[in-house]
Amino acid sequence: MTETTQSTDTEQAAESAQTSDIEMQRSGQPLEVTAGETREKTRDEWTDYEFEGDAKFAVEDLDVYYGDDHALKGVSMDIPENSVTALIGPSGCGKSTFLRCLNRMNDRIKAASVDGTVELDGQGIYQDGINLVELRKRVGMVFQSPNPFPKSIRDNISYGPRKHGDLETGFLANLLGRSDDEEVEELVEQSLTQAALWDEVKDRLDDNALGLSGGQQQRLCIARALATEPDVLLMDEPASALDPIATSKIEDLVHDLSEQYTVVIVTHNMQQAARISDQTAVFLTGGELVEYGDTEQVFEDPQSQRVEDYISGKFG
Amino acid sequence: MAGAVESELVSEDTSETEAVAAAAVGVAAILFALSLAALFELVTITDTLAGVPMVALLGALLLLLGLGVVGFGVGSRLGYVATNPRPSAGLVAAVAFSGIWFVVGGLVASQTFGLGTIGWGGVAFVTGGLAFAVTALPREDIGSTLPAGLLAVFAGAVFVTGLIGPGWVWDLGWEQSASFNAEFTIPVITAFCSLLVAWGAAKSYGGFGARGRHVGAYLLVYLNALSIIAVLFLLVAFTVFKGLPGLFNGLSFGLGTGPETTLFGFTFAWPLSWPFVMNGVALLNDVNGVLPAIAGTIWLVIGAVLFAVPLGVGAAVFITEYAEHGRFTQVVEIATNGLWSTPSIVFGLFGLAFLVPRLGNGKSLLAGMLTLGFMLLPLVVITSREAMLAVPDEYRDASAALGVTKWQTIRSIVLPAALPGIVTGIILGVGRIAGETAPILLTMSGSVAPPGSQTVDVIGGFQFISSPPFVENPELLQATSALPYQLYSLITAGVGQSSNIANIEQFRWATALILLVVVLGFYAVGIATRYYFRRKLQHE
Repeated sequence: MTETTQSTDTEQAAESAQTSDIEMQRSGQPLEVTAGETREKTRDEWTDYEFEGDAKFAVEDLDVYYGDDHALKGVSMDIPENSVTALIGPSGCGKSTFLRCLNRMNDRIKAASVDGTVELDGQGIYQDGINLVELRKRVGMVFQSPNPFPKSIRDNISYGPRKHGDLETGFLANLLGRSDDEEVEELVEQSLTQAALWDEVKDRLDDNALGLSGGQQQRLCIARALATEPDVLLMDEPASALDPIATSKIEDLVHDLSEQYTVVIVTHNMQQAARISDQTAVFLTGGELVEYGDTEQVFEDPQSQRVEDYISGKFG
Repeated sequence: MAGAVESELVSEDTSETEAVAAAAVGVAAILFALSLAALFELVTITDTLAGVPMVALLGALLLLLGLGVVGFGVGSRLGYVATNPRPSAGLVAAVAFSGIWFVVGGLVASQTFGLGTIGWGGVAFVTGGLAFAVTALPREDIGSTLPAGLLAVFAGAVFVTGLIGPGWVWDLGWEQSASFNAEFTIPVITAFCSLLVAWGAAKSYGGFGARGRHVGAYLLVYLNALSIIAVLFLLVAFTVFKGLPGLFNGLSFGLGTGPETTLFGFTFAWPLSWPFVMNGVALLNDVNGVLPAIAGTIWLVIGAVLFAVPLGVGAAVFITEYAEHGRFTQVVEIATNGLWSTPSIVFGLFGLAFLVPRLGNGKSLLAGMLTLGFMLLPLVVITSREAMLAVPDEYRDASAALGVTKWQTIRSIVLPAALPGIVTGIILGVGRIAGETAPILLTMSGSVAPPGSQTVDVIGGFQFISSPPFVENPELLQATSALPYQLYSLITAGVGQSSNIANIEQFRWATALILLVVVLGFYAVGIATRYYFRRKLQHE
């Protein structure tokens, strides 16, 4: 059964490779592929993914340009709630760019321009009048390299809520009897416990966060993102700078978090994506979303020949 | 590899020849220190040491060293000493030695033998060329010892035979009758030759080759660093020794001996009397002091810092965090760099022409503060900007991803992380403005030797008035004195002679010492602040 499907797939791929060759000659535009990659035309149905429940993010025809560079080409995908979505693909395929579109971190890059719609809970985040502070409170982010602030562990965790005005601390608050010191302690313990770091650091909350190991720093960054009580957690290769033990801790953590949060994770490591995610989106060279579906299906029975080649390690 | 040299992996115990080379390095270092001491007149070259005249002793040491090094090099060439030399000492050494010998040959020919331009030129070229050939052509052991050793032998011979003795003078014959005397020439020649010989000996000690070059360079770098520290130390020590007698004139301890001070309505008497820092200059004083100038300097620096730091840091925040990077920020950068290099007298003139007429039309403390603040401003901008640029962008990204606004990110992440750098800038700037004379001379200087009653009292000077702006401070609008200005007028302009200053020489040195102490005190405050903020940022 599987074999038959695969052979059909190969035929289809060969067909589409021909079509794209013809197209290429006609339009004069070469299809962007790297060495070893099969030529084929991406089909819309490969990226259709049906799921039960609500979509947290609905992305429609998203294009991103860095100056003249077209980094993301017409990406449309719906991301289901309370699940782990993995974005995989070779370097420079636009998966981090896509992730950064979900909380508008691309705004911070001057050359970047974004076209298309992204809806969070049915509300467009690229429309006028959007409150970026509120958006980023709801959509937390963890970066590739651990980047705790040069402050104490406690201050790192409580930084977001304090700056949002949700918690009041400091001299004046103490003086006026409005200080939320107890709430801060609660928040710190809760966030660190969620990030599976509490037992390791509970006796040194006043120490500088830069004194923690790389894996601990990364979990601290996750705890810091959780402290603002987001709905969504975006992770940009959170384990790429960590050793295997720290990586497995982060993976377990991601798995636990998916019960309460919608997690979108970019990774280079395909085993990791297969282990931890519920659905997988494959971006390939040129900033195209080639295939999106249930993780099991994408890894075991990919519809696209290019995706199969990529997953089996023929290129990328 | 052709010509590759195989050397021992483990060298044997220190051989006798190595010990000789090490001893030569040691003697050369001592000789270098001795010549530096002579240069700064800690040792006088007319003295005798154990019955031997100092010059002859220096000469004999040089002679001995030179012969030793030459002997080592020749011994190595003839195979008596096991070394590992390269085929040549190298182009850099050859050019340096030919330059040195060119000068030596030329000077001897023109000054000692009185040859004309063509004559001394010829001799100089011949000696320079010979030195080049001797350094570059033979093997490294000859090339790096012979030119250095022979120079030391030559200088030593000149000193020992008395051709250059304590009474020797080289009259340059210029209008101001400038001349090099023995007190200067002998230590300089000795120091130079001992450095060269030490380098040669160090190379010999390392057995030439890569290791020898390493040892030679190491020695030069170390001696250089040490002599710089020594000069710094000497400078401070010199001021302290000269200044101490005047500083502690009439110092006495005991309850109630000191002057009375009123602070916040509470009057107390100091338990010590230190006239030099507690008095001004007055006819009836037993011992005169510089209190008004000390107070003036301290208030001047405080005022300038209060004026320049908020403005400078604010400007730096704007150009690094808010402004578009482009033509505008480039222009601001060039302008601030240019302002920082602007001579202080220009700032002084600006203060005199622009500030003084607008601030009560007289020289005043406030005008001085603002002028020095303008001088401090560019450095604060430059260093704050550098410090903020050095704050990693990851911090800003992380903060933005948490939904924190830009200003709050700057205030709670960027500025704290940049503080040590900003404080460093302020320290450097304060070091410059605290010792500045020219702007003070033009904008705030009052009497040269003010009495103690004219000590500026900025805090006590604030008073309420009935018309806007309802607060005024006449103290800020009065001319006063500052330490560098007072020192300048006491020494250069020769004023103060007529005042009741008993020992003007002591008084000047003590003023210099106090200025040094005040500036170093500001440094100490700045460094402690920086240390505090750095500790907060780092994991400890």
